[in-house]
Amino acid sequence: METAQDAAVSPSPENSRRSFLRSAVTIASGMSAFVAALSPLHELDADDVPTLEGFLQKHYKEMGPGEMQTALARIKREVDKRYSVDSVVRDVRPKEGVEFVYALNLSRCIGCRRCVHACVAENNQSRSPEIQYIRVLEMPRGTIDIERGNHHYDRPTVPDLLHYYMPVQCHQCANPPCVKVCPVEATWQESDGITVIDYDWCIGCRYCEAACPYWARRFNFVEPEIPKEQLNPEISYLSNRPRPKGVMEKCTFCLHRTREGKMPACLEACPVGARKFGNVLDPESEVAHILREKRVFVLKEDVGTLPRFFYYFDERYPRPEGEPALDPLHADEAKAR
Amino acid sequence: MIAAREYARFLWRCFRVSFAGDWRYHLWMTALTVVALLGLNAYAKQLVHGLGTAGLSDQVSWGLYIANFTFLVGMAAAAVMLVIPVYIYRNQELHDLVIFGELLAVAAILMCLAFVTVDLGRPDRFSHLFRRFNFPISMLTWDVVVLNGYLLLNLHICGYLVYCAYRRRRPSKLFYIPFVFVAIVWAVSIHTVTAFLYVGLGGRPFWNSAIIAPRFLASAFAAGPAFLLVTLWVLDSYTDYVVPAKAFATLKNIVTVALLINMFLLVCEVFTEFYTDSAHGVSARYLFFGLHGYHALVPWIWSAIGLNTSALLILLLPLSRRPALRNLACLMLIVGIWIEKGMGLIVPAFIPSPLGEIVEYLPTWNETLVCLGIWAFGLLVFTVLVRVTIPVLAGRLTIDRLYSPDYTRRVPVVLDHAQPTPEVLP
Amino acid sequence: MRNLIPLVFLVLAVAFAADARRGVTLPLPGPSGVTMDDLHLGPPRQALRDPPTFQSGPYRLNCSECHALFPSLAEPRVPLLQHRNVVLNHGQNDRCYNCHSRENRDRLVLRGGQSCGFDDVPRLCAQCHGTVYRDWQNGTHGRTLGSWDRASGRQQHLGCSECHDPHAPAFPHLAPLPGPNTLRMGEQESEQAHGNERNPLEKWKARHADAAEESTRGREH
Repeated sequence: METAQDAAVSPSPENSRRSFLRSAVTIASGMSAFVAALSPLHELDADDVPTLEGFLQKHYKEMGPGEMQTALARIKREVDKRYSVDSVVRDVRPKEGVEFVYALNLSRCIGCRRCVHACVAENNQSRSPEIQYIRVLEMPRGTIDIERGNHHYDRPTVPDLLHYYMPVQCHQCANPPCVKVCPVEATWQESDGITVIDYDWCIGCRYCEAACPYWARRFNFVEPEIPKEQLNPEISYLSNRPRPKGVMEKCTFCLHRTREGKMPACLEACPVGARKFGNVLDPESEVAHILREKRVFVLKEDVGTLPRFFYYFDERYPRPEGEPALDPLHADEAKAR
Repeated sequence: MIAAREYARFLWRCFRVSFAGDWRYHLWMTALTVVALLGLNAYAKQLVHGLGTAGLSDQVSWGLYIANFTFLVGMAAAAVMLVIPVYIYRNQELHDLVIFGELLAVAAILMCLAFVTVDLGRPDRFSHLFRRFNFPISMLTWDVVVLNGYLLLNLHICGYLVYCAYRRRRPSKLFYIPFVFVAIVWAVSIHTVTAFLYVGLGGRPFWNSAIIAPRFLASAFAAGPAFLLVTLWVLDSYTDYVVPAKAFATLKNIVTVALLINMFLLVCEVFTEFYTDSAHGVSARYLFFGLHGYHALVPWIWSAIGLNTSALLILLLPLSRRPALRNLACLMLIVGIWIEKGMGLIVPAFIPSPLGEIVEYLPTWNETLVCLGIWAFGLLVFTVLVRVTIPVLAGRLTIDRLYSPDYTRRVPVVLDHAQPTPEVLP
Repeated sequence: MRNLIPLVFLVLAVAFAADARRGVTLPLPGPSGVTMDDLHLGPPRQALRDPPTFQSGPYRLNCSECHALFPSLAEPRVPLLQHRNVVLNHGQNDRCYNCHSRENRDRLVLRGGQSCGFDDVPRLCAQCHGTVYRDWQNGTHGRTLGSWDRASGRQQHLGCSECHDPHAPAFPHLAPLPGPNTLRMGEQESEQAHGNERNPLEKWKARHADAAEESTRGREH
């Protein structure tokens, strides 16, 4: 490449040898500084290094049954090795004719935070820092402005009688802003209404976290740390498998439980029965009754997210005078009698 | 084949020229390289330990990286806006400014891409962007498309013009004029798309306002040309390249008008938030006056307003014809707008969180080093590009000529594109 | 000057290598320490079944076995001589024989005098708590465990006495589990120190704070 014309700076052989040597030494020292700058990378464990298998893995929606089995096997291998357990890793699909709705009775919630910690235990969340999907707000009476809530209340006993308590978690909105903004479609809404994340697809840009009006999404800023004895070995691909560093996660209404008919962990832990969950497409379900008869509202309705999480109080709508108390669903039958 | 060899030789010669310079040049380049390596080291630590090495949290999930990204997108957009006086108003004297503007745009876009990459939690999954692309719904996908398109556009335009000058050949209008006009529109689009990233989020009322995009453009058109103005002054003072006075005057006018518009839009925003006095203005209250005892950003925003106002006053006065004051005003407004876009736009939208929690943000040293490293890298790229372009445009580095630096000789080299250049030798 | 450049890079390389040895420590908040054992899933109370029994020392007796031998007061008052653990705090329902059958302690009694079994407690409570009973029938009051799916047959609706102590039905106050301790959270106050001072509701509440506390204390939660 180099012709005589390019001997730019000085023509004499002595100078050109010196300048060549100087350039060589400078380049060598520069390269060594460059390599040394990358030396912290020696701390990467084997599992942190991206693998070809991980690179080639398809998006959840594109995976065929064989590919899913491979992925599940890989996850089981990794979890078993890391936590010394015998895990059961599945891909739990949604049921037909089911749309989940959650209802929360604000007349009953006492702010004990048992739902928060049941969720942490069930969903294999990092303990250090402790990622909690549910936030319980201690609200002063007379307002539903959630910016007035206190997240960090620390009383000897709850409930405090001048406050009411409002837990907030992912509302699995019907018009989700988080799904809109994801650049790689790593988060989407399934047929039963649950917004899910493919943890092997997320690139960690955190745009969805900025977009959520309910602050429902969490990011793994560091490698999640779960004590081995506290790991829940019943795992599913889309919900509670231990997440890698650098990806988003959020409440999935415990889909690994609820898609098989069980109740979510937060509901089972609630000592006062403030949480109600079910299939709103079933007209006789508890949640359908609540939506029909109770005074329900949603948070930040003006943002247009159409949440599937409703708050209600024990009061019913007023009835016309003189009319006996009837379940509106069976009103016709009663009239006929 | 010969053409490819010729081009490769051109690149090699550029590479060699970029290492030639006086002691000030070498000091500048070494310092930048050291800072860039420090940034690389800090990023390596971030790759190992995750974004926890930054001062980010679930409450404030975007910070210094996205702040710098936003500012630099503006710079990139503005650099090309110089194209309008030259090509639309046919101001031939400023012809070469266009090239410098586009070189600045190239460096700025590279910095933007670097900032976005370091902000990702899983940069190893970059390929997912090509496999499932949520275009046109997600504004981030628009950003990916327009930023990379803009980079390619600018690389083509200045690459073509510089290579033609090297070949001593008149550039064919077909190969660059259409691209230049596309670049004008595209420059506006890159910043508008970046603004729309923030504007479309209903859950963040601080951002969910129509004025964000116009403010972006106004502040970008103040900061970009200001940076270019300072750069041209450096070139004019420390190299033998002479910048016509008209260039400084035009740039100064652009900066002044843009800054005036920016200040007006600031007044609009402040009025809307504080006169309405609703709960939607709580982030603005936090930014300007602090909220419930948390006031980390208050000194920053008032400094930014002070810097911008002082810069505007200086620029409006005839004093600013003096280079020292003009440069000072430009530097002040660059810093002021940087603060406004970063601390004044990105961070307050996260405080308080959508559930009302207040968690403040303080960048860590590691995060700061990564940012400085990327800035150093960008300045390195810009310096190299300018270092190569000047001799080519001055006719000192051409296909048929030996390169002679002669940087000690301050003889004005005037570029005269009105004269036809001799045909290239076979 | 140019000869110094390699030196600068070498010093930098050495500094990087030395720094890499030190490693990075992040200020991570620790775990809250709550485990599943702190959570007590399942029914909160062990309700009396039909027929009800009482553990007296090593013997498990039917209620009527003792009450056939020992007469009770006409109008008992707490604390009782036996059953000393019974705390009566049921509002205006402070008369034992409102619910318990005077003749047969193995049964409960409705307002009209009808006999009611211990397995049929909701019917008894419904006499006064009609609205709550209606909600309970729908499943909107109380805890439903097992399954959300009515068709699955695994739904477990808890009866009134499986959550509420019939003698003191209001839930005892609980100690809240630890609150959030997230990455880089900073100082957070556990008391809501800031209200909106201009809000008239706040001003009235402050003025009547004591009276408000009095009135809410007595009311059923």
